[in-house]
Amino acid sequence: MDFLPLFQWLGHTPVGVFMQQSTYAFAVVEMVHLLSLAILGGVILLIDLRVLGLGLKDQTTGVLAQQLKPLLIGSLLVSVVSGILLLSEEPIKCYFNPAFRAKMLFLALAVVFYFAVQDRVFRLQPGASSLPAKCVGVVSLLLWLSVGLAGRAIGLL
Amino acid sequence: MADRTILKRRNPERKLLQEFCQWLYDSTIGTSIRESIWVFPIIETVHVLGITLLVGTIAILDLRLLGVVLKREPVARVAGGILPLTWAGFAVMFVSGFLLFWSEASKSYANPAFRIKLMLLLLVGLNPLIFHFTIYRTVGAWNNTVVTPFRARLAGLFSLTLWAGIICAGRAIAYFQK
Repeated sequence: MDFLPLFQWLGHTPVGVFMQQSTYAFAVVEMVHLLSLAILGGVILLIDLRVLGLGLKDQTTGVLAQQLKPLLIGSLLVSVVSGILLLSEEPIKCYFNPAFRAKMLFLALAVVFYFAVQDRVFRLQPGASSLPAKCVGVVSLLLWLSVGLAGRAIGLL
Repeated sequence: MADRTILKRRNPERKLLQEFCQWLYDSTIGTSIRESIWVFPIIETVHVLGITLLVGTIAILDLRLLGVVLKREPVARVAGGILPLTWAGFAVMFVSGFLLFWSEASKSYANPAFRIKLMLLLLVGLNPLIFHFTIYRTVGAWNNTVVTPFRARLAGLFSLTLWAGIICAGRAIAYFQK
Protein backbone atom coordinates (compact mmCIF):
# COMPACT_ATOMS: atom_id res chain seq x y z
CA MET A 1 0.00 0.00 0.00
CA ASP A 2 1.33 3.40 -0.97
CA PHE A 3 0.75 6.13 1.59
CA LEU A 4 2.56 8.88 -0.30
CA PRO A 5 -0.60 10.40 -1.91
CA LEU A 6 -2.19 10.56 1.56
CA PHE A 7 0.82 12.47 2.92
CA GLN A 8 0.78 14.80 -0.10
CA TRP A 9 -2.92 15.43 0.43
CA LEU A 10 -2.33 16.19 4.14
CA GLY A 11 0.18 18.89 3.24
CA HIS A 12 -2.38 20.61 0.99
CA THR A 13 -5.32 20.57 3.41
CA PRO A 14 -6.26 23.94 5.00
CA VAL A 15 -4.86 22.65 8.30
CA GLY A 16 -1.57 21.70 6.67
CA VAL A 17 -1.27 25.06 4.95
CA PHE A 18 -2.02 26.82 8.24
CA MET A 19 0.63 24.79 10.09
CA GLN A 20 3.20 25.62 7.40
CA GLN A 21 2.46 29.35 7.34
CA SER A 22 1.94 30.11 11.01
CA THR A 23 4.92 31.25 13.09
CA TYR A 24 3.76 29.87 16.42
CA ALA A 25 1.37 27.00 15.59
CA PHE A 26 4.08 24.34 15.31
CA ALA A 27 5.67 25.31 18.65
CA VAL A 28 2.28 25.39 20.43
CA VAL A 29 1.12 22.05 18.98
CA GLU A 30 4.48 20.53 19.88
CA MET A 31 3.90 21.56 23.50
CA VAL A 32 0.43 19.97 23.45
CA HIS A 33 2.02 16.81 22.01
CA LEU A 34 4.52 16.79 24.90
CA LEU A 35 1.79 17.35 27.50
CA SER A 36 -0.25 14.44 26.16
CA LEU A 37 2.93 12.32 26.15
CA ALA A 38 3.33 13.06 29.86
CA ILE A 39 -0.17 11.74 30.69
CA LEU A 40 -0.13 8.83 28.24
CA GLY A 41 3.33 7.76 29.43
CA GLY A 42 2.27 8.12 33.06
CA VAL A 43 -0.77 5.87 32.58
CA ILE A 44 1.22 3.21 30.70
CA LEU A 45 4.01 3.28 33.31
CA LEU A 46 1.53 2.89 36.18
CA ILE A 47 -0.21 -0.08 34.49
CA ASP A 48 2.93 -1.89 33.31
CA LEU A 49 4.92 -1.26 36.47
CA ARG A 50 1.96 -2.56 38.50
CA VAL A 51 2.15 -5.83 36.55
CA LEU A 52 5.83 -5.97 37.52
CA GLY A 53 4.95 -5.36 41.18
CA LEU A 54 5.86 -1.66 41.43
CA GLY A 55 3.83 1.45 42.20
CA LEU A 56 0.10 1.06 42.95
CA LYS A 57 0.49 -2.40 44.48
CA ASP A 58 -2.64 -2.24 46.65
CA GLN A 59 -4.91 -2.49 43.64
CA THR A 60 -5.11 -5.38 41.15
CA THR A 61 -3.82 -4.69 37.65
CA GLY A 62 -7.22 -5.40 36.13
CA VAL A 63 -9.09 -2.85 38.24
CA LEU A 64 -6.29 -0.29 37.84
CA ALA A 65 -6.19 -0.69 34.05
CA GLN A 66 -9.98 -0.44 33.88
CA GLN A 67 -10.03 2.78 35.92
CA LEU A 68 -7.20 4.39 33.95
CA LYS A 69 -8.56 3.37 30.54
CA PRO A 70 -10.48 6.61 29.81
CA LEU A 71 -7.34 8.62 30.57
CA LEU A 72 -5.27 6.32 28.37
CA ILE A 73 -7.67 6.64 25.44
CA GLY A 74 -8.10 10.39 25.97
CA SER A 75 -4.37 11.16 26.08
CA LEU A 76 -3.74 8.81 23.14
CA LEU A 77 -6.33 10.72 21.09
CA VAL A 78 -4.74 14.09 21.95
CA SER A 79 -1.29 12.72 21.00
CA VAL A 80 -2.57 11.36 17.69
CA VAL A 81 -4.45 14.54 16.75
CA SER A 82 -1.55 16.83 17.74
CA GLY A 83 0.81 14.40 15.99
CA ILE A 84 -1.17 14.64 12.74
CA LEU A 85 -1.03 18.44 12.99
CA LEU A 86 2.75 18.31 13.45
CA LEU A 87 2.99 15.88 10.55
CA SER A 88 0.98 18.19 8.27
CA GLU A 89 3.74 20.79 8.56
CA GLU A 90 6.26 18.57 6.76
CA PRO A 91 4.45 15.44 5.50
CA ILE A 92 6.80 14.54 2.64
CA LYS A 93 9.93 14.98 4.74
CA CYS A 94 8.40 12.74 7.43
CA TYR A 95 7.29 10.17 4.86
CA PHE A 96 10.92 9.60 3.87
CA ASN A 97 12.27 9.82 7.44
CA PRO A 98 13.20 6.32 8.73
CA ALA A 99 12.66 7.40 12.35
CA PHE A 100 9.12 8.54 11.54
CA ARG A 101 8.37 5.21 9.82
CA ALA A 102 9.77 3.29 12.78
CA LYS A 103 7.67 5.38 15.18
CA MET A 104 4.45 4.68 13.26
CA LEU A 105 5.24 0.96 13.17
CA PHE A 106 5.95 0.80 16.92
CA LEU A 107 2.89 2.94 17.68
CA ALA A 108 0.64 0.58 15.69
CA LEU A 109 2.19 -2.43 17.43
CA ALA A 110 1.89 -0.86 20.89
CA VAL A 111 -1.76 0.12 20.41
CA VAL A 112 -2.75 -3.25 18.92
CA PHE A 113 -0.81 -5.05 21.67
CA TYR A 114 -2.62 -3.06 24.34
CA PHE A 115 -6.16 -3.60 23.10
CA ALA A 116 -5.74 -7.11 21.66
CA VAL A 117 -3.51 -8.69 24.30
CA GLN A 118 -3.02 -6.65 27.48
CA ASP A 119 -6.61 -5.54 27.89
CA ARG A 120 -7.79 -9.13 27.49
CA VAL A 121 -5.18 -10.54 29.89
CA PHE A 122 -6.17 -7.99 32.54
CA ARG A 123 -9.85 -8.85 32.14
CA LEU A 124 -9.34 -12.61 32.28
CA GLN A 125 -6.78 -12.47 35.11
CA PRO A 126 -7.30 -9.23 37.05
CA GLY A 127 -4.79 -10.21 39.74
CA ALA A 128 -2.25 -11.44 37.23
CA SER A 129 1.29 -11.47 38.52
CA SER A 130 2.35 -14.67 36.77
CA LEU A 131 5.38 -14.86 34.52
CA PRO A 132 3.35 -14.55 31.26
CA ALA A 133 1.61 -11.45 32.67
CA LYS A 134 4.98 -9.94 33.54
CA CYS A 135 6.24 -10.65 30.04
CA VAL A 136 3.21 -8.79 28.67
CA GLY A 137 4.14 -5.80 30.86
CA VAL A 138 7.76 -5.83 29.70
CA VAL A 139 6.78 -6.11 26.01
CA SER A 140 4.38 -3.18 26.43
CA LEU A 141 7.05 -1.03 28.12
CA LEU A 142 9.58 -1.84 25.38
CA LEU A 143 7.09 -1.07 22.60
CA TRP A 144 6.13 2.32 24.07
CA LEU A 145 9.79 3.12 24.80
CA SER A 146 10.53 2.41 21.13
CA VAL A 147 7.74 4.80 20.12
CA GLY A 148 9.34 7.48 22.30
CA LEU A 149 12.90 6.87 21.12
CA ALA A 150 11.92 6.80 17.44
CA GLY A 151 9.84 9.94 17.95
CA ARG A 152 12.79 11.71 19.53
CA ALA A 153 14.96 10.63 16.60
CA ILE A 154 12.66 12.20 13.95
CA GLY A 155 14.15 15.62 14.60
CA LEU A 156 17.71 14.29 14.67
CA LEU A 157 17.64 12.50 11.31
CA MET B 1 19.23 57.96 41.94
CA ALA B 2 17.27 55.36 43.88
CA ASP B 3 17.26 53.02 40.90
CA ARG B 4 20.98 53.20 40.62
CA THR B 5 21.47 52.21 44.27
CA ILE B 6 19.30 49.13 43.76
CA LEU B 7 21.23 48.17 40.66
CA LYS B 8 24.53 48.59 42.44
CA ARG B 9 23.41 46.46 45.33
CA ARG B 10 22.10 43.65 43.12
CA ASN B 11 24.92 43.67 40.66
CA PRO B 12 27.64 41.73 42.54
CA GLU B 13 25.39 38.69 43.17
CA ARG B 14 24.17 38.68 39.61
CA LYS B 15 27.69 38.83 38.33
CA LEU B 16 28.70 35.98 40.60
CA LEU B 17 25.88 33.79 39.25
CA GLN B 18 26.77 34.70 35.69
CA GLU B 19 30.43 33.92 36.28
CA PHE B 20 29.51 30.62 37.88
CA CYS B 21 27.46 29.71 34.78
CA GLN B 22 30.35 30.72 32.54
CA TRP B 23 32.72 28.59 34.65
CA LEU B 24 30.39 25.56 34.31
CA TYR B 25 30.07 26.19 30.57
CA ASP B 26 33.86 26.33 30.11
CA SER B 27 34.58 23.33 32.37
CA THR B 28 35.86 20.08 30.86
CA ILE B 29 32.60 18.20 31.49
CA GLY B 30 30.40 21.02 30.21
CA THR B 31 32.46 21.37 27.05
CA SER B 32 32.60 17.61 26.43
CA ILE B 33 28.81 17.24 26.64
CA ARG B 34 28.29 20.24 24.37
CA GLU B 35 30.82 19.20 21.75
CA SER B 36 29.96 15.50 21.57
CA ILE B 37 27.64 14.50 18.73
CA TRP B 38 25.81 11.86 20.74
CA VAL B 39 26.03 12.72 24.44
CA PHE B 40 23.81 15.82 24.36
CA PRO B 41 20.96 14.22 22.32
CA ILE B 42 21.09 11.07 24.49
CA ILE B 43 20.81 13.03 27.75
CA GLU B 44 18.09 15.17 26.17
CA THR B 45 16.15 12.03 25.18
CA VAL B 46 16.37 10.71 28.75
CA HIS B 47 15.17 14.11 29.97
CA VAL B 48 12.18 14.20 27.57
CA LEU B 49 11.06 10.60 28.18
CA GLY B 50 11.65 11.05 31.91
CA ILE B 51 8.71 13.49 31.84
CA THR B 52 6.43 10.43 31.90
CA LEU B 53 7.89 9.10 35.16
CA LEU B 54 7.94 12.45 36.94
CA VAL B 55 5.04 14.49 35.55
CA GLY B 56 2.94 11.59 34.25
CA THR B 57 2.80 9.92 37.65
CA ILE B 58 2.23 13.06 39.74
CA ALA B 59 -0.47 14.20 37.27
CA ILE B 60 -2.46 11.05 37.98
CA LEU B 61 -2.30 11.76 41.73
CA ASP B 62 -3.42 15.33 40.99
CA LEU B 63 -6.30 14.00 38.88
CA ARG B 64 -7.28 11.73 41.80
CA LEU B 65 -7.35 14.79 44.08
CA LEU B 66 -9.62 16.45 41.53
CA GLY B 67 -11.87 13.37 41.45
CA VAL B 68 -11.26 12.64 37.76
CA VAL B 69 -9.58 9.21 37.87
CA LEU B 70 -9.15 6.33 40.36
CA LYS B 71 -12.24 7.62 42.15
CA ARG B 72 -12.75 4.35 44.01
CA GLU B 73 -9.19 4.30 45.38
CA PRO B 74 -8.39 5.93 48.75
CA VAL B 75 -6.25 9.05 48.25
CA ALA B 76 -3.55 7.98 50.71
CA ARG B 77 -3.17 4.63 48.95
CA VAL B 78 -2.83 6.30 45.54
CA ALA B 79 -0.29 8.75 46.97
CA GLY B 80 1.66 5.95 48.66
CA GLY B 81 1.82 3.91 45.46
CA ILE B 82 2.62 6.76 43.10
CA LEU B 83 5.05 8.98 45.03
CA PRO B 84 8.03 6.54 45.04
CA LEU B 85 7.80 6.45 41.23
CA THR B 86 7.52 10.24 41.10
CA TRP B 87 10.66 10.58 43.26
CA ALA B 88 12.53 8.16 40.98
CA GLY B 89 11.41 10.35 38.08
CA PHE B 90 12.60 13.43 39.93
CA ALA B 91 16.07 11.90 40.37
CA VAL B 92 16.27 11.07 36.64
CA MET B 93 15.09 14.56 35.66
CA PHE B 94 17.33 16.39 38.12
CA VAL B 95 20.50 14.57 37.05
CA SER B 96 19.78 14.70 33.29
CA GLY B 97 18.55 18.29 33.55
CA PHE B 98 21.62 19.41 35.47
CA LEU B 99 23.93 17.78 32.90
CA LEU B 100 22.10 19.61 30.08
CA PHE B 101 22.36 22.88 32.02
CA TRP B 102 26.05 22.23 32.72
CA SER B 103 26.82 22.12 29.00
CA GLU B 104 24.80 25.24 28.18
CA ALA B 105 25.00 27.15 31.47
CA SER B 106 26.07 30.57 30.21
CA LYS B 107 23.46 30.46 27.43
CA SER B 108 20.75 29.21 29.81
CA TYR B 109 21.55 32.02 32.24
CA ALA B 110 20.37 34.59 29.72
CA ASN B 111 17.51 32.46 28.34
CA PRO B 112 14.06 33.82 29.38
CA ALA B 113 12.37 30.41 28.98
CA PHE B 114 14.97 28.82 31.25
CA ARG B 115 14.44 31.53 33.88
CA ILE B 116 10.68 31.03 33.78
CA LYS B 117 11.14 27.26 34.04
CA LEU B 118 13.31 27.63 37.17
CA MET B 119 10.78 29.95 38.81
CA LEU B 120 7.93 27.52 38.06
CA LEU B 121 10.04 24.65 39.46
CA LEU B 122 10.47 26.61 42.68
CA LEU B 123 6.70 27.11 42.92
CA VAL B 124 5.91 23.49 42.07
CA GLY B 125 8.25 22.47 44.91
CA LEU B 126 6.46 24.70 47.40
CA ASN B 127 3.03 23.31 46.47
CA PRO B 128 3.44 19.77 47.90
CA LEU B 129 5.22 21.18 50.97
CA ILE B 130 2.19 23.32 51.78
CA PHE B 131 -0.17 20.48 50.84
CA HIS B 132 1.55 17.91 53.05
CA PHE B 133 1.82 20.11 56.13
CA THR B 134 -1.73 21.45 55.93
CA ILE B 135 -4.73 19.73 54.35
CA TYR B 136 -3.05 16.32 53.87
CA ARG B 137 -2.73 15.98 57.68
CA THR B 138 -6.46 15.37 57.83
CA VAL B 139 -6.48 12.90 54.91
CA GLY B 140 -8.00 10.26 57.19
CA ALA B 141 -11.27 12.20 57.17
CA TRP B 142 -11.56 12.46 53.35
CA ASN B 143 -9.43 9.52 52.19
CA ASN B 144 -12.32 7.65 50.55
CA THR B 145 -14.32 10.57 49.17
CA VAL B 146 -14.53 11.15 45.41
CA VAL B 147 -14.72 14.91 45.91
CA THR B 148 -11.79 15.91 48.12
CA PRO B 149 -11.74 19.14 50.21
CA PHE B 150 -11.40 22.41 48.30
CA ARG B 151 -7.79 22.95 49.36
CA ALA B 152 -6.79 19.47 48.19
CA ARG B 153 -8.42 20.09 44.81
CA LEU B 154 -6.68 23.45 44.65
CA ALA B 155 -3.31 21.77 45.30
CA GLY B 156 -4.02 19.28 42.49
CA LEU B 157 -4.99 22.06 40.11
CA PHE B 158 -1.88 24.11 40.98
CA SER B 159 0.35 21.10 40.47
CA LEU B 160 -1.17 20.25 37.07
CA THR B 161 -0.97 23.85 35.87
CA LEU B 162 2.59 24.40 37.09
CA TRP B 163 3.90 21.13 35.61
CA ALA B 164 2.24 21.92 32.28
CA GLY B 165 3.93 25.34 32.40
CA ILE B 166 7.28 23.71 33.20
CA ILE B 167 7.01 21.35 30.22
CA CYS B 168 6.09 24.22 27.89
CA ALA B 169 8.84 26.51 29.24
CA GLY B 170 11.30 23.61 28.98
CA ARG B 171 10.39 23.07 25.33
CA ALA B 172 10.69 26.80 24.71
CA ILE B 173 14.31 26.86 25.98
CA ALA B 174 15.46 25.49 22.63
CA TYR B 175 13.60 28.25 20.78
CA PHE B 176 15.35 30.99 22.79
CA GLN B 177 18.81 29.40 22.96
CA LYS B 178 21.33 31.44 20.97
